[in-house]
Amino acid sequence: MDVETVTERAGPREFSPKDDMPEEYRKAATRMIQFHANSEIMGAYLERPFIRQAPSLDRKLAFSAKVQDEIGHGQLLYRAAESLGIKTREEMLRELEEGKGKFLNCFHYPMDSYVETPMIAFFVDGAAMRRQATLKSTSWEPYAHAMDKVCFEEGFHVKHGEDILRELMTGSRKEQEMTQEAFDEWWPRIIQFFGPTDEQSTHHGFAAEVGLKQMSNDQLRNAFLNAYIPKARKYGLEIPDYPRIEKRDDGTYEVREDDLDWDEFFKIAKNDYEPGVGQIDGRKAAQDAVEWVRDVLDDYEQTARGQPAAAD
Amino acid sequence: MATTDADLGSPGDLDEGEREAVEHLLYRLADDEFVLAERYTEWQVRAPTLESDLSLSNIAQDELGHARLWYDLLEDFGYSESDLVWERPPGEWRHATLSEVPFAEGDWADAVLRSYLYDVAEGIRLSALEESSYARIRDRVPKIRGEEGFHRDHAEGWLERLATDSGGLDRLQSALDRLFPHALALFAPTDPEIEDRIDDLGLRTASLSEMRGEWRSEVEPFLSELGLTVPDADRHTPHGRGGDHTGDWDDLHDDFTHTYRELGRTEARRIMVDPDEAES
Repeated sequence: MDVETVTERAGPREFSPKDDMPEEYRKAATRMIQFHANSEIMGAYLERPFIRQAPSLDRKLAFSAKVQDEIGHGQLLYRAAESLGIKTREEMLRELEEGKGKFLNCFHYPMDSYVETPMIAFFVDGAAMRRQATLKSTSWEPYAHAMDKVCFEEGFHVKHGEDILRELMTGSRKEQEMTQEAFDEWWPRIIQFFGPTDEQSTHHGFAAEVGLKQMSNDQLRNAFLNAYIPKARKYGLEIPDYPRIEKRDDGTYEVREDDLDWDEFFKIAKNDYEPGVGQIDGRKAAQDAVEWVRDVLDDYEQTARGQPAAAD
Repeated sequence: MATTDADLGSPGDLDEGEREAVEHLLYRLADDEFVLAERYTEWQVRAPTLESDLSLSNIAQDELGHARLWYDLLEDFGYSESDLVWERPPGEWRHATLSEVPFAEGDWADAVLRSYLYDVAEGIRLSALEESSYARIRDRVPKIRGEEGFHRDHAEGWLERLATDSGGLDRLQSALDRLFPHALALFAPTDPEIEDRIDDLGLRTASLSEMRGEWRSEVEPFLSELGLTVPDADRHTPHGRGGDHTGDWDDLHDDFTHTYRELGRTEARRIMVDPDEAES
């Protein structure tokens, strides 16, 4: 199939491994799905300390289950990416370790206190949900199929994040103040989640034309702000003065781009931002430490081929 | 040992001595599960493969769930979750040291061997509770047993795979040498007099030394078959059951209570259904 035919046929769940897709499509889809899968893994990496530091048994269980879900999403998404025939899962995980794999800007920041957890679990996951819901009708069928499960579980994660936020904002004055401080710090990053408004994205045009992407960054950010500004206020959070956000007459929002730190954003996009680099390297060190187990498994599977020996 | 057909009735029916025995037994059970789960979760996002990450997460959550079931029975006596977990001083915890010692980075051999040593003991311990004279304990055994079977299969499968490799076998041997004395701590008494009372009241139908014998006769041939040498070692001191622990426990306790203290919390939020309501 040539790109012209792909563009003509592009529609929800239109293409699958049965179709002979042009390389340009397969590369663009791999880039998108790999980014998504990497983000699941690095998000899990960021949240894992709070399994231990959650302040109740039920919360601990919920954090453990959430982190486990993210790893499960990574597993599903790498599989969907592999189905394009460009890279294997091992190659993608290797790229993530080597600092070549890209992932969401918010997961490059450190998370030190429990009061920060709803910034990810409510706001960032809420923002991600907006994007993911549209991806149920992406043109690469395995990706859309993975999104069915991912979106279902993300719904629980956002509820978990919202419940923690509600608990903190109805807690002691100290808890409320700490949470507001965390919100002030995270809010600009959350806005940047959707990328710059006047982005001259080299990838967006093609991805939209072949039906991989369904909505522009601007549309998604707008939908997010419409829903989440009222939610933040409902829980007693004050929206920081910067970046300035103005409501247009048609109800949409205009974010003053100059109020955001784009140097930092692009540094992050290149995996050059210091806390993020530490997080990438930290994960790499943990993975290097268990390399020996994967080697044993590989040998075992080669000698014991034919026997059912699922490595789980 | 004396077992009795007498049923001890409900929590309110217990006299002081009976209640003390029940509490000791429950702390043994709950603390082992909670602390081991705490250690297992260290493997989340750090396991060798995405698949093994998911499996170990499941096991950690199962153990946490079991801890929750046992702590819930202590709540029958008026304790809150804060009393039992978040505000209990580290020197009053009664888990065996097997649960608390840390994993060295990348030491997956330790993770699967520890799970095996624990799960065999757990199976034996649950058998001895099936006919407990205390219905609240007896009734919770079947649900927990069902999950422990999966844990054990998981551990055995991994041990068999790692043992096929000479490097893997070396790592397993070094983990066994280190863990075996801590595993023997599983059968140590919290207080010898109270452990006798637990047996006399029929709360448990096998004594600690009977269970230890059964455990040894099960794990030793299996480990030898894998090519491992079971060390001729004594129980670790301290063993944990009496409240005395290794220095690693203080660090772990400090870490998991961090947020509770940082936020100045006085109670633990429940979001899940109470185990008694979930059953009915």
